[in-house]
Amino acid sequence: MPDSSRRNFLIAGLAVPAAASAARSSADDQKHAAPPRPALADPQLRYRILGDTGLKVTSVGFGCMITSDASVIERAADIGITYFDTARVYQSGNNERMVGAALKGKRQSITLSSKSGAKTKEAALADLDTSLRELGTDHLDIWYLHAKTKPADVTDELIDAQQTAKKAGKIRFAGVSTHSGQTELIPALTANPHIDVILTGYNFSMGQTLDPVLAAAHEAGKGIVAMKVMAGGFRFVKPGNKVYDTLKKDGALLAALRWTLRNSNIDTTVPSMTDMDQLEENLKAMTGGFTKADETLLARQLERIAPLYCRMCGQCDGACAKGLPVADLLRYLTYADGYGQFSLGRERFLELPAEVAQVRCDSCDTCTVHCPHGVRVAERLGRAQELFA
Amino acid sequence: MKALIAAQALVPAALALLPAQTPTCDLVSGWTRQGAARAYDASNLFEYMDGNAEGYLLYGFVAMHGVTCVEGGDSILIDISEFADADSAYGMFSANRDPRLPAETLGAGGQVTPRRVIFTKGRFYAELAANPDKDHTPALRAFSTALEKLLPGSAAAPAALAWFPAEGQKSARLIPESVLGLRLLKRGYVAEYEFGKAFVVQESSPEAAAAVMDKLRARFNATGDSLQLTDRYLGRLCFIQKGRYILGYANVAEGHDPLALTTALAARLP
Repeated sequence: MPDSSRRNFLIAGLAVPAAASAARSSADDQKHAAPPRPALADPQLRYRILGDTGLKVTSVGFGCMITSDASVIERAADIGITYFDTARVYQSGNNERMVGAALKGKRQSITLSSKSGAKTKEAALADLDTSLRELGTDHLDIWYLHAKTKPADVTDELIDAQQTAKKAGKIRFAGVSTHSGQTELIPALTANPHIDVILTGYNFSMGQTLDPVLAAAHEAGKGIVAMKVMAGGFRFVKPGNKVYDTLKKDGALLAALRWTLRNSNIDTTVPSMTDMDQLEENLKAMTGGFTKADETLLARQLERIAPLYCRMCGQCDGACAKGLPVADLLRYLTYADGYGQFSLGRERFLELPAEVAQVRCDSCDTCTVHCPHGVRVAERLGRAQELFA
Repeated sequence: MKALIAAQALVPAALALLPAQTPTCDLVSGWTRQGAARAYDASNLFEYMDGNAEGYLLYGFVAMHGVTCVEGGDSILIDISEFADADSAYGMFSANRDPRLPAETLGAGGQVTPRRVIFTKGRFYAELAANPDKDHTPALRAFSTALEKLLPGSAAAPAALAWFPAEGQKSARLIPESVLGLRLLKRGYVAEYEFGKAFVVQESSPEAAAAVMDKLRARFNATGDSLQLTDRYLGRLCFIQKGRYILGYANVAEGHDPLALTTALAARLP
């Protein structure tokens, strides 16, 4: 970051225009503001305060990213969900337009956030103007710098963009979203007085890894929003797939959401929803606490997704005594088991050199490959050979 | 998009597209490659598309290959994504095109703007993004035309699109799950009009479609072969079954007859 930008940022930070001081950008004002009233108040809804922003939001919000039909968003708002999240990049902007149309007329009773992945102040502010236009609003409640993974990604220039937008009354609060690198990034965001809200991937498959940094951030007054609450493993099992149907029947999706909400440092969540059934199921997470039964379900779920969830870390490279490309084979199996793309998995398998394709794991007494992440390698490779050979 | 981080050395051999399908910068003279080529599959797309990978996975994303090409101070990112089938690739395209802007005759469907081109052909979806902020249309057109020739597969749009009346159509999209926000309607096409939206969902058999119709009757507490009702969110709507298809109109404006519209749509289906 050039010195001049940093200097400009500091100067701009001191020169608060009178109009801006009266705008909706003060956290103190918000702390004491009356909570937004849902259109259809429901006793089953639960609210939490989003850190020092003072925004009162339902503990289950709505991640609009993959929603195809505006009716689901509209219904969620009618039921009383108060937090909706989108981003400039989702569906190349079509998502913001749909969200704006769905929430038209409800803007005053909801908290709305969007994001920009721009790298410069100019581009970020241009993104913000486009977001406001597409969403049909004159301000965002939270504007996130999108998908940051390390402290250096959150540049002074981008912080300056957020502060400029705040002063112009275009955003109320500044945030950063992150999917990885949180143990390093969140402490840096916690220490940054210009960041009001942190939107982070957080789910049961992570165990307690993030709990200390989230607790410290919350203690420092940051609002904490959790995303990817259903765990990355769920990406590999889609509706219509047998494993997915089992999980759904089991209630593991709901248990995953409850696991996230059991942490009082999480102010709200933004699970993706594509239909009314999912919406209704997710609402139940607000009232039911995380139970022993949920714990059992998630333990089983972890067991189920672990074999499907090759992280491509490469630690098994060269470990097979018979020379199998372990990670590749696991991926082919994911095509078949996870996506229902059997022919693609087989096609890839048959492209392997003959001496590799002919190896059978059951001919080894012991497996020399040990996955550090718990993938049951020998069992999975055996299945791949059984399916594809 | 995230920084360009994937090195060619890390690309699993089996993921590589055929050479003819991998984008290269020498497709247009004067352009050279900057940095390493990129390759991702569903398990690591988030490293590149952090924050937007789910949008691809939703449509059955399989793999992506890309390069960054430069000439002078200009750069163009080219990414070719492979999907499970041509319908899914078209679905990705239709979800990302701006329905307010004109379409381009490019592959099975395309759109060209001063800094961006997207198009689909076969089971491939191509994205080209140019920097800095100025009109890059000539270079983008040159690359996309060359790429379109390289990508295998049909340049015809999905047959389902022809079922929807063209007159007054604002957009037509593949919805990969939960058509109309109803989990019962797993996957189908939706076309939007000023007066409402038409939809067609294809089931595996007439029996399967009949079973879904039964569930719709139960859900909406309706009876009869053609379900006509008014829903708080889906407005005036009508569902009917024709063979293995469930089709109809939703959010139909006053002055239009949902059943008549649906009957006319059914006549266009095979």
